[in-house]
Amino acid sequence: MKKVKITIDNKEIEAIEGANLLHTSRLNGFDIPGLCFHHRLTPTGACRLCIVKVEGMPGVVMSCTLTVKEGMKITAFDEELETARRHTLSYLLAEHNEEYDGTYYDEMMPLIERYGLASKGNRPIPAFWHNIPPVIDDTSPVLTYDSSKCIKCFRCIKACEEIQGKGVLSFAERGITKYIVAGYGKWGDSECDGCGECIQLCPTGAIVEKPNRERIQVQQIEKKVVTTCPYCGVGCQIEVWAKNNEIVRVNGLEGVLPNDGRLCVKGRFGYQYANSKKRLTHPMIKRNGTFEKVSWDEALDYVALKFNEIKQKYGNKALAGYSSAKCSNEENYLFQKFIRIAFGNNNIDYCTRLCHASTVTAMIKAFGDGAGSNSIEDFETTDCLFVIGNNIIETHPITATYVKRGKARGQKIIVIDPKWTPLVKYADIYLQPRLATDVALLNGMMYHVIQEGLVNESFIKERVDGGMDTFAQLKEVVMKYTPDVVEKITGVKTDIVKEAAIMYAKAPTAMIATGMGMSQQTVGTNNVFALIDLCLITGQIGRDRCGINPPRGQNNVQGATDVGASPVFYPGYIQVVNEENRRRIAQLWNVPFEQLEPNPGLTTLEIMDAAHDGRIKALYIMGENPVITDPNQLHTIEALQNLEFLVVQDIFETETSAYADVILPAASLFEKNGTVVNSDRRVLRLRKVIDSPGEAMPDWKITNEIAQRMGVNIGQYSNEEAIFEEIRQAAPILKGVSYRRIENQGIQWPCYDEQHPGSSTLYKEKFNTENGKAKLFPVEYTEQSEKPSSEYPLVMNSGRLLFQYHSATLSRKSDVLNAYVNESFILINPEDATKYGITHGQKVNVISPRGNIITTAHVSDEVLPGETFMPWHFHESAVNALTRNEKDPLSKIAPFKYSVVRVEAI
Amino acid sequence: MMSEIKISLRRVGKINPLSIDDFIKEKGFEGFKKAITLAPDEVINWLEKSGLRGRGDAGFPTFIKQRSTATSCYTCEARYVVCNADEGEPGTFKDRFVMENDPFSVIEGMLIAGYAIGANYGFVYIRGEYYDSINKIKNAIQQAYEKGYLGKNILGSVFSFDMNVYLGAGSYLCGEELTLIESLEGKRGYPRIKPPFPAEKGLWNMPTLVNNVETFSHIPFILENGYENYASIGTAESKGTKLYCVSGHVKNPGVYELPMGTKLRELLFNVAGGMKEGFEFKGALLGGAAGTFVDESILDVPMAYETLKKQGATLGSGAVIVVDNKTNLKSMMQSILSFFKHESCGKCVPCRIGTTLLNERIQETKLSEEDLNWMLQQAEYMAKYSLCPLGQSPILPLKSVLTYFKKELV
Repeated sequence: MKKVKITIDNKEIEAIEGANLLHTSRLNGFDIPGLCFHHRLTPTGACRLCIVKVEGMPGVVMSCTLTVKEGMKITAFDEELETARRHTLSYLLAEHNEEYDGTYYDEMMPLIERYGLASKGNRPIPAFWHNIPPVIDDTSPVLTYDSSKCIKCFRCIKACEEIQGKGVLSFAERGITKYIVAGYGKWGDSECDGCGECIQLCPTGAIVEKPNRERIQVQQIEKKVVTTCPYCGVGCQIEVWAKNNEIVRVNGLEGVLPNDGRLCVKGRFGYQYANSKKRLTHPMIKRNGTFEKVSWDEALDYVALKFNEIKQKYGNKALAGYSSAKCSNEENYLFQKFIRIAFGNNNIDYCTRLCHASTVTAMIKAFGDGAGSNSIEDFETTDCLFVIGNNIIETHPITATYVKRGKARGQKIIVIDPKWTPLVKYADIYLQPRLATDVALLNGMMYHVIQEGLVNESFIKERVDGGMDTFAQLKEVVMKYTPDVVEKITGVKTDIVKEAAIMYAKAPTAMIATGMGMSQQTVGTNNVFALIDLCLITGQIGRDRCGINPPRGQNNVQGATDVGASPVFYPGYIQVVNEENRRRIAQLWNVPFEQLEPNPGLTTLEIMDAAHDGRIKALYIMGENPVITDPNQLHTIEALQNLEFLVVQDIFETETSAYADVILPAASLFEKNGTVVNSDRRVLRLRKVIDSPGEAMPDWKITNEIAQRMGVNIGQYSNEEAIFEEIRQAAPILKGVSYRRIENQGIQWPCYDEQHPGSSTLYKEKFNTENGKAKLFPVEYTEQSEKPSSEYPLVMNSGRLLFQYHSATLSRKSDVLNAYVNESFILINPEDATKYGITHGQKVNVISPRGNIITTAHVSDEVLPGETFMPWHFHESAVNALTRNEKDPLSKIAPFKYSVVRVEAI
Repeated sequence: MMSEIKISLRRVGKINPLSIDDFIKEKGFEGFKKAITLAPDEVINWLEKSGLRGRGDAGFPTFIKQRSTATSCYTCEARYVVCNADEGEPGTFKDRFVMENDPFSVIEGMLIAGYAIGANYGFVYIRGEYYDSINKIKNAIQQAYEKGYLGKNILGSVFSFDMNVYLGAGSYLCGEELTLIESLEGKRGYPRIKPPFPAEKGLWNMPTLVNNVETFSHIPFILENGYENYASIGTAESKGTKLYCVSGHVKNPGVYELPMGTKLRELLFNVAGGMKEGFEFKGALLGGAAGTFVDESILDVPMAYETLKKQGATLGSGAVIVVDNKTNLKSMMQSILSFFKHESCGKCVPCRIGTTLLNERIQETKLSEEDLNWMLQQAEYMAKYSLCPLGQSPILPLKSVLTYFKKELV
């Protein structure tokens, strides 16, 4: 980034060599007009307003097309240029419908004003736009396009193509009558997925947002608050607009990581739930089978009473808590403090156990850390991206924009997934193995790495525990996975397995993205071990843009474990059994050391099992919906019914709260301050936008009240920041983070002190293990205990869609999201459809050994013959009624990705 | 006699354009054979000394383009030669004549250029409506492959060259070199920002040479017969022959190859046989729609780049659309301005709106002095601020028609 000197209108400026000249000029106070330029896009040179004169170049040049060079002399403003600009604007006015209703930002209006063209009498060119029949497209659920307002600046087309990597928009027709089309015509029929990038970048009212439009006057929004998106683990920074305590719009915040203004349809339009009339507003106690509204005092006293009662009667171990990936770090921290002090045990866990448990378990054993080793920007700049069991475009949309931009630069992409995902379109190599055969495939890839002489021996010697000796042990296992064996087990042809292995091993830098496909299996931990082995023997970790990354599903699933919502870890990933740490924490918490339980507690599914067989009597659930999210729904329901006391603290009534004894209304993420941690370990701010409805309270306050009424002191906090200050003391990896430091942009842990800048890439010097070296874990392929049979001939895979979110408590409250997708379905391969007499669109009964559900059949070759796929968002066709709760022995996760089923036409 | 020398059309009537054997019998590929005995840069030197200028429109010295394409970006993995056969300028029909009668000469010219600049791939971008040219060029390419004049190690040299044909789809603007490259890449035809120029970043960001059909058809002659021979034809700054396209009410409209600098009088009244019965010469539109009107005062000016430029006129593509005493010049201007509006891609503001305004105004039944001045103003603004030559063109016919024939418009 070399700094050079240039001259603009005789003023000397210091600028960065190679930077865009127009952008640089504006940053230095030279307000050169322009409408088609946007600093996040490549320059277009269409509006001709940014004209400048450059010494040594003939005529005029568009400053947006030039880059800064040492010694440049520019004239930005003189009479000739200003006259020409005015003429250009008057041309634009002739073709532009300038009717303005105040509901959007119009960049043309201030220019019209500035150049003295506001009054129609002053305009040299008579308007002719009303002679051109306008094209109005109102078919999208999220926006409206009006061609009469369009100035054909290309921004929307480029936004869709260059920023989001989608390329849905283009022009139809030519010349003066051209207009924007999505896909082949109607927006609603196109592949537009409602991310709204075009809306954000349109300089006029040609593309405007639909939701709440009648209610917004952009100059009169009283509240604009920057916070973090409540949905997935990207942690997009959003600017939320509120009017009369109602959220009316969300914009992407530009210039900050992780998203730089980008959003997906959920983040931009999925906020409706916050102001839904169905929000819980009052505490409720179940009496005689119905919920009655009560006061906070009554509810909290009752809860405290019952918890103490059960503790007395059955002992400490009879209680447990589910913490929440949808609550802030402060709330999760306080919740685990509550469990450990008030309940006196370590029975705290949450939905992470259903998700990346295997990934985190394997990674911690191998590297000492259970979080992604790289940063989101690296997804664009790494040479080779290896995506396995991760539908990144639908589940981590903004990370996917980085991937697509990487692809445009020549990045190589390998996709491994039993089910086709949109990323396959961008893949250089696509491997489609049969479900649950990943260990064989990965061992098979390592076989090729070894055969081709691509093992990184120096890396193994320097950075792997046991060096070449442990490698020899791995080799012994892996060499059994010959091409024939692998092809037989996985169904993938040898030549592409080999090609993928070589591509990954040879890449100068390579990153792995690993998702649910790997983790949610009975062999999930083994899957990730095999993946880590491949990564280590090729040395594709411990350097910039190299490593292994689990994109996290919830906006705070990472943070919750970071701050200790775990049965085996205290805040900062220090083991529960670590006595020294427990002493330290006891001091911090001002409780007797002996009060802190030294043994690890039960994990999420173990808690549910324990409830089922009567060992757990009381359960305190915060922001979780296990009836939809836990495997084997019948088992879950029986377990909940078997409890003596169930408290559900949430923002809506859910399928789980139906079984509660007490329901406590909580505040949504828009209604509290705090922090969350995203997939690349970035601690991000949450800021309160609106007040909670009715009597709903922030979760941390509720938990604190319960503790107090139980006679237990878990701390006095005036606000969320005070809680965070304590977190910093408890977790060394967060010690250097403070609210002040993350005011503008988050910091990635580990951040050990206030001078530490945060860590974008992990393991550059050493791994976080005892001896600083990573460990290899050779694993063998094992078959599933449940296999297809004549009674259950098909295997069911499950996963997510872009437009709905997890148990859909939040997302199905959104009209926009529901307009895109609101119905369950099962994907069946055409061969199987024929075999079982099923047609597309038919209602079918899907039956597994655990139960059955009704859904609609979609015949599709996205799944292999013998396999099916269902999205699990729709409670009326609850996928977990079919899944089993067998567990991975190490990670305790259930195999959501593999259940045997039978599909019958109805 | 000078007017006997033919370069582009030397084989017309002597060969079957579908037969490579005929072509070879008539000194086909002799130029290429000579070229590969020279160092590539020496070939460019020959072109420099010959004075060859691009025959598409602008008359830009060919050797400059070739040299900068050859020396651009040493690390680029490919270089391309593109033949612009989009022939979209109204009144121009010479390229199709060459392609229909001697398609192999185009291939030979591209081969030599490819050798000179270090390119191994060539594309012929032919306007989609030219069915015959397309077939003949495709056939020529196929036969060249069969006979070993295309493909690997041509004639046993280290030089390999592959060629392909790509079709245009109805856009005048795709005849502009940067827009053509966009279209060749499979994208919608929008002109790119220059710089960078194609020599630096062209097809798929690689150095690319774009030349016109006629230009390529001259290159083999230069190599075959020497640059001095070529430079001895033509004027001081415009060397060689030119294909003039005469249309209008002359006795013999058509394509004529004459030395650069032939006078209009010679072209129209000798070679083209003079005006048809009942028509009187009034003037001509030189260079097509993006060209200039002239009247009889130009009849004795040599038709070459520099000589016409001195008179405020353009040679352009070599189109000569004869205007006679019965021509409705207003109607002709309407046709020209509606053409520009129709062909405007709509990317930049001055041209998108400017061509619409000009077209609208010229349709008015009565045009006043103010109207014409206003139109001239708009065209001047467009010439200065448009993104590409299309928007920069309306000023040419407009200004010249007002210079010579204003009375007819008011």
